[in-house]
Amino acid sequence: MNANLAERWAELPDLLAGHVLLSLSAILVGLTLSLPLGIYAASRPRLAGLVLNLASIVQTIPGLALLALMVPLLGGTIGYAPAFLALMLYSILPILRNTIVGLQGVDPVVRDAARGIGMTAREQLWRVELPLALPVIVAGLRTAVVWVVGAATLATPVGASSLGNYIFAGLQTRNWLSVLFGCLFAAGLAIILDQMIRLLEVAARERRSRLAGLVGLALAVLLTVTIAPRFVDFGPAGRNAREAGEVARMARLSDTTIRVGAKAFTEQYILGALLEDRLAGAGGRVERRDNLGSSIAFDALRSGEIDVYVDYSGTIWATVMNRPEPVNRHAMLAEMTGWLWAEHGILALGSLGFENAYGFAMARESAEALGVASLADLAPLAAELTVGGDAEVFSRPEWVMTRDSYGLSAMQTRAMDATFMYGAVRDGQVDLISAYTTDGRIAAFDLVVLDDPLAVLPPYDAVVLLSPGAAANPALVDVLASLIGTIDDDAMREANRRVDLDRQTPAQAAAWLAGRIGPEGAAQ
Amino acid sequence: MIEHAPAVLDVRDVRKTYAGDVEAVRGVSLSVARGRLLVLAGASGCGKTSLLKMINRLEETSGGSILFGGEDIDGMDPVALRRRIGWVMQGDGLFPHMSVRRNVGLIPQLAGQDPARVELRVREMLELVRLDPDEFGERLPAELSGGQRQRVGFARALAGEPELVLMDEPFSALDPITRDGLQQDFRALQAELGFAAVMVTHDMAEALIMAHEVAVMREGQLVQRGTPRELMASPVDDYVTGLLETPRRQVQAIAELGR
Ligand SMILES: Nc1ncnc2c1ncn2[C@@H]1O[C@H](COP(=O)(O)OP(=O)(O)OP(=O)(O)O)[C@@H](O)[C@H]1O
Ligand SMILES: [Mg+2]
Repeated sequence: MNANLAERWAELPDLLAGHVLLSLSAILVGLTLSLPLGIYAASRPRLAGLVLNLASIVQTIPGLALLALMVPLLGGTIGYAPAFLALMLYSILPILRNTIVGLQGVDPVVRDAARGIGMTAREQLWRVELPLALPVIVAGLRTAVVWVVGAATLATPVGASSLGNYIFAGLQTRNWLSVLFGCLFAAGLAIILDQMIRLLEVAARERRSRLAGLVGLALAVLLTVTIAPRFVDFGPAGRNAREAGEVARMARLSDTTIRVGAKAFTEQYILGALLEDRLAGAGGRVERRDNLGSSIAFDALRSGEIDVYVDYSGTIWATVMNRPEPVNRHAMLAEMTGWLWAEHGILALGSLGFENAYGFAMARESAEALGVASLADLAPLAAELTVGGDAEVFSRPEWVMTRDSYGLSAMQTRAMDATFMYGAVRDGQVDLISAYTTDGRIAAFDLVVLDDPLAVLPPYDAVVLLSPGAAANPALVDVLASLIGTIDDDAMREANRRVDLDRQTPAQAAAWLAGRIGPEGAAQ
Repeated sequence: MIEHAPAVLDVRDVRKTYAGDVEAVRGVSLSVARGRLLVLAGASGCGKTSLLKMINRLEETSGGSILFGGEDIDGMDPVALRRRIGWVMQGDGLFPHMSVRRNVGLIPQLAGQDPARVELRVREMLELVRLDPDEFGERLPAELSGGQRQRVGFARALAGEPELVLMDEPFSALDPITRDGLQQDFRALQAELGFAAVMVTHDMAEALIMAHEVAVMREGQLVQRGTPRELMASPVDDYVTGLLETPRRQVQAIAELGR
């Protein structure tokens, strides 16, 4: 637990900096756009209606979806840019709405008086209308701050690091301390910023310059302390000293920055850590991009935003190549490799040696009680059964084909986070789940994976994918090639189990895997 | 027509037609000289406010012309024009977020006077309307009584040394005693400072008590103009007689109490 806490603290400066930088820049730009627009629209009722409707539409898009949509909109760019854009759009509505409502709410008698005593339009705005609308506008700004600081935790899957990394990674690895860290710091940040804005407004209204100065100072300190780690890199110095000897010995990748991507589940974190370990060992500078959404990871690789990550042949086959028909494992691997290279210049380096397939698992006890051993046995029982799966699975071709081929359309489906599925089927909350076959909990919870006699479910070999840019770097290809064929199903399952059940960190599990594989070259 | 001095304000055959063919003012002519108070009276909706708003160009005329200090206001910058004309409205129209001091000092400040002079002017104005600057200066409008607010409204209108003051029912929201005191004070102020004034009122008694001259409007037109005495002596038609009926009856009723 202490190691966990120490690791979480160590992550804090970077994640907090990312979070503050992302949300504040989004709010600042949102404010500079929406305030003038609101002022301009307030006296033009038709325009006001139009912009408010547009902004409301943006607001009805769920935060996560809006963030994810920005990635294809920006041509596959991941990281700061799409997250910034989505959050900025998100901040517009409350500020815009309150600016318009606040200005329109100024008493017409007061407005007439301002004109009648001879104020210019500008003087009316600055001396009368804006000061009177200020409390309403500030309320909008505070809403925007709370929303954006909260929604910035959703920037994690599009590859922008934020306090959401704690939450996403924690959820996947059942590391509740990590989830708690993310929630507490995000909520704390929102509350502090909200209160600071409130105090600034009080100071402005009551003309208390000392209070304004104090709050301004506190804000400046908060910003400096949180953002500084982004610009002053403390980390590498220490790390370099420690690893100096190693680096000198095999500095084949020196001065190359390699961005390693990972999707948002345990196995991916472990493999990400393993890749990092290998690359850093060869002298490379590694940046991790964890928690990428499934299709976002591929887009990011294609556009060169990340250099390498591990994906699964069946996933590429179905969701990227859009091939509905299953083929045998080796044919799929060969065809996929050729297709990726020809279409995108992406190098599929080879299989790591294990397969992480989608399978359907039941608790052994209930499978035996129902006399079920294969998917083909389920059809007569389908109406009484409930199948659980992550949000993604029910819209994927694998489920559609399984359902149609085995006649399971009467079955109830229940989407839940992958973390909770295994416990849910063990405890009988659902009868069946779509399990990942390398998950450590299959053995630990005494689940059985049902046979697939019609061979509907495609194979899922874990393959190392390199972006076109990375594929052109022979040293990099060389280092990673040493991992091909080194991890079998049992090894991966054990590594997953260590994280999911023994509460080890992904880095610890990766170290165990690395030890098992042996040093670079040993496996060859 | 009684002309004591050259007219500060000269309204010539002015018309106002609002969108939708509402003819609010249909050819009104009048003039007001320095130090004089003209009261506009008449039933609700007869165009009093519309006429007043055309004088400081809060509304544009649809016909006729208005001369201010001998110059056609059409050729003047509306903001510059309004700064030379005091504006007092019903229910004070003070800025709720500004202290009494800032409300009163606003016009001189906008005119670019230096702070020391503005401050001096504020004190002078507040004393003029019989409010202690030290006691009331830092208060917000919400911390004043209705009568005090209206006094601040006058002080603000007069701070710019206007040649003309326009007032739309300035006393209508006040209780009779406060109203009486303010009416007297206003006449005294006018006598002291010598500005010309146009006041709109519903209250015929108020018109008769305060005005140098009363102009009675009906459906956008002027039906009679004269001193209060002339009006009482010879109302031109039943409409004017009807308007005078209420004050007349009140006076009689009170006189009978005394017998
Ligand atoms: N902005 C406007 N647009 C259209 N019509 C208007 C406008 N302002 C006033 N009117 C109309 O012009 C007419 C005269 O209105 P005005 O406000 O001048 O009357 P008033 O004599 O001041 O009435 P009151 O004593 O009730 O204040 C009314 O019929 C009114 O409905
Ligand atoms: Mg009126």
